[in-house]
Amino acid sequence: MTTLVSRRSLFRGAGAALVAGGLAACAPGTTTGNKALPTTSATKPPSGEITIWDRTGDLYKVFDKAIASFTAKYPQVKVNHVAVDINAKLPSTLISGAGVPDGAFYDDALLTGVAPHLYDLSGLIEQYKTDIAPYKLGVVTVDGKVVAVPWDLDPGLLFYREDIVSQAGVEIGGLSTFDNLLEAARTVREKFPQAKPIHLENDQFLGQLWMDMFANQQGGAMVAADGKLTIDSDPYRNALTWLDKVRSERLGTLAKYTQPTDLQTQDNGTQVFVPWAQWFVFAPQQLLKASKGKWRATALPAWQAGGARAGVMGGSSFVIPGKAKNPELAWRLYEHLVFSKEGYTTVYGANDVYPGGLNTSIPSYLPALDPEAPLFKPLEALGGQDLWKVAVEAGKQVPGGYTIPTWWGKAVDYFGVNVQKLLVGQMSPDEVLKTSASQIQKNLMGPS
Amino acid sequence: MATLTEATTTRRAAHRVRRRRIPVAPYLFVAPFVLVFAAFSAYPIFFALQLSFTNWHGAGALKIVGLANYRYLLTSPDFWQSMATSGVLWLLVVPAQVLLALTIAVALRKARFRGVFSAALIAPFVTPLVAMAQVWIILFDKDFGAVNHGLSALGLPAIGWLTTAAGAKVTVALLVLWRTTGYAVILLLAGLSTIPSDVYEAATIDGAGAWHQFWSITVPLVTRTLSFVVVIGTLTVFQLFAEPYVVTGGGPFNATRTAGLYLYKHITNSDLGLGAANSMLLVLMVLALSLASIRLLRSREDS
Repeated sequence: MTTLVSRRSLFRGAGAALVAGGLAACAPGTTTGNKALPTTSATKPPSGEITIWDRTGDLYKVFDKAIASFTAKYPQVKVNHVAVDINAKLPSTLISGAGVPDGAFYDDALLTGVAPHLYDLSGLIEQYKTDIAPYKLGVVTVDGKVVAVPWDLDPGLLFYREDIVSQAGVEIGGLSTFDNLLEAARTVREKFPQAKPIHLENDQFLGQLWMDMFANQQGGAMVAADGKLTIDSDPYRNALTWLDKVRSERLGTLAKYTQPTDLQTQDNGTQVFVPWAQWFVFAPQQLLKASKGKWRATALPAWQAGGARAGVMGGSSFVIPGKAKNPELAWRLYEHLVFSKEGYTTVYGANDVYPGGLNTSIPSYLPALDPEAPLFKPLEALGGQDLWKVAVEAGKQVPGGYTIPTWWGKAVDYFGVNVQKLLVGQMSPDEVLKTSASQIQKNLMGPS
Repeated sequence: MATLTEATTTRRAAHRVRRRRIPVAPYLFVAPFVLVFAAFSAYPIFFALQLSFTNWHGAGALKIVGLANYRYLLTSPDFWQSMATSGVLWLLVVPAQVLLALTIAVALRKARFRGVFSAALIAPFVTPLVAMAQVWIILFDKDFGAVNHGLSALGLPAIGWLTTAAGAKVTVALLVLWRTTGYAVILLLAGLSTIPSDVYEAATIDGAGAWHQFWSITVPLVTRTLSFVVVIGTLTVFQLFAEPYVVTGGGPFNATRTAGLYLYKHITNSDLGLGAANSMLLVLMVLALSLASIRLLRSREDS
């Protein structure tokens, strides 16, 4: 090779390239978030290719079948359906902009944290607004914009061991308030001294989600509609005081949801009452052995006589990232799954994965919630009980007007942890509320 | 004469050009490395440093906030708690790992079927962590775990391995020890193989016992390898993420939220500026700790 360049020229060129490349690469995306999808797009015949993320496991298989019903309807569409640990991967993918899917299934509790990276679907959702459960419409609306297609509704229910409760002579119909439930737990323990009948959640994240169910049931939330912190309030105080009583009277089993202690104590009759989201039903169906078929579900007790008998715990929705390559097609898919009878029936109705139908939640699309037209069948794991009716009835009672703050996930480090401290006797209800409020205000909300 | 002068001038000029100019080929050969290094090492470090002075959340333009992220972290109890947790885990893991690995390596030095033992030792390192974590959760369950059953058979009280702050740290440390000690043994075996056998023969002739040989020959001659094991152990502990993430989720009460796990939370919370500042502080602290460890071992080697 005879071509020669001067050392200075070489370094100057390399330096310039590095600086130019570096600066260009260092400039982050100019995404401002919440671009709106045009409402007219829905009229175009759908064709093209999209990538959709869903959680791994059985639910992935269920959605796979449902997506097949969409592609059968629109053969011009190819859907790359991918199983991903979405909670771990989606936030960083949205930030980096690399490998962004066209749509993803995502936890409602974490939704507000990624909202700036999502499409504003307000215009498209408008036509369905009156048919969406008010609670759910609230959680997918961030700063006045609908940023996700609402999927499931997860009402809280009281799961109980029917065999033990009846042997103890407890009348389930009489459990109309949480004080009644406390009394029932005492009665069960008198009959079965080894019992610690009430489930106390030992996981920081789920514990906070659980507390929010109790607060939502009383019309409360961590923040008011205007964003003001309302954690130090009666709904949380009532729930924490009750839980503290359960702990101090040794009426509770502290266990992590579906971890060994939890399953063993539910199977051996130590735990008898589990106030939890509808998705608890997964345990008797798939995880519990000795007690399978002995569990039943009923409405949650009210916090005050005559109060609401349900709150919501968890839930997920479908998001369309602002950097999606084919967002309009993703919308068409989700519109099919959520708002068409064919779509939601394919998911919740009988299928290869769940021959009796998917029963861990109910649709948030109200026209699907007909008590007389169940989407899933009565459950053997609940002794043949018709969970559909119980869940639909509870779903109607879930109070609306609920706001999830953008920092909900971060608050687990404070409120979630402090609730755990209460459950092991290290903090009082007042200490939990005041400390959490102060920590959240200081670390997550800035000076008031 | 004139011709000679011209020729000389031309040669001098050509010489100057040769001195000033260089061949392209060597630069082309090293270019792949330089480009890969620039893209995957230099640029991310530079970008992270830049991010650490911003409050970027992944969307919108960068907004410079000066030293605010560093100020926040250095005055945050959460940050210091995560550093303290990593510090405690370092104390639980690294000294025990060095002792264990050295003992096993010395025992294996002349063992038959060394290859089989080495393969067995490295097995935990290559076993999928998520599967092992589940085994750990079952083994260390307070009420139904095999470990507490064993303690109860010995008349000892049950320990909240996963439900108390101290117990959870020990549980995570045991998992890390179980997974990484084999790797340290392999490193030390390599170090031990460089010690000439005649040194031990001479010591035996001089009447030195096994302990004396270990302390006066083996340890000093593998000090450099030990330094490496300590540095690797330090890096492992301060970057520790997967083990506490899958076994304890950072709980109970954030007691196993390591520096690595705390850093990860910034990322999942989209607090990228804060996360970058946290990683810069972490780099400095790990660097200081590693240098201190090396210096400590070198001073022993020198003495």
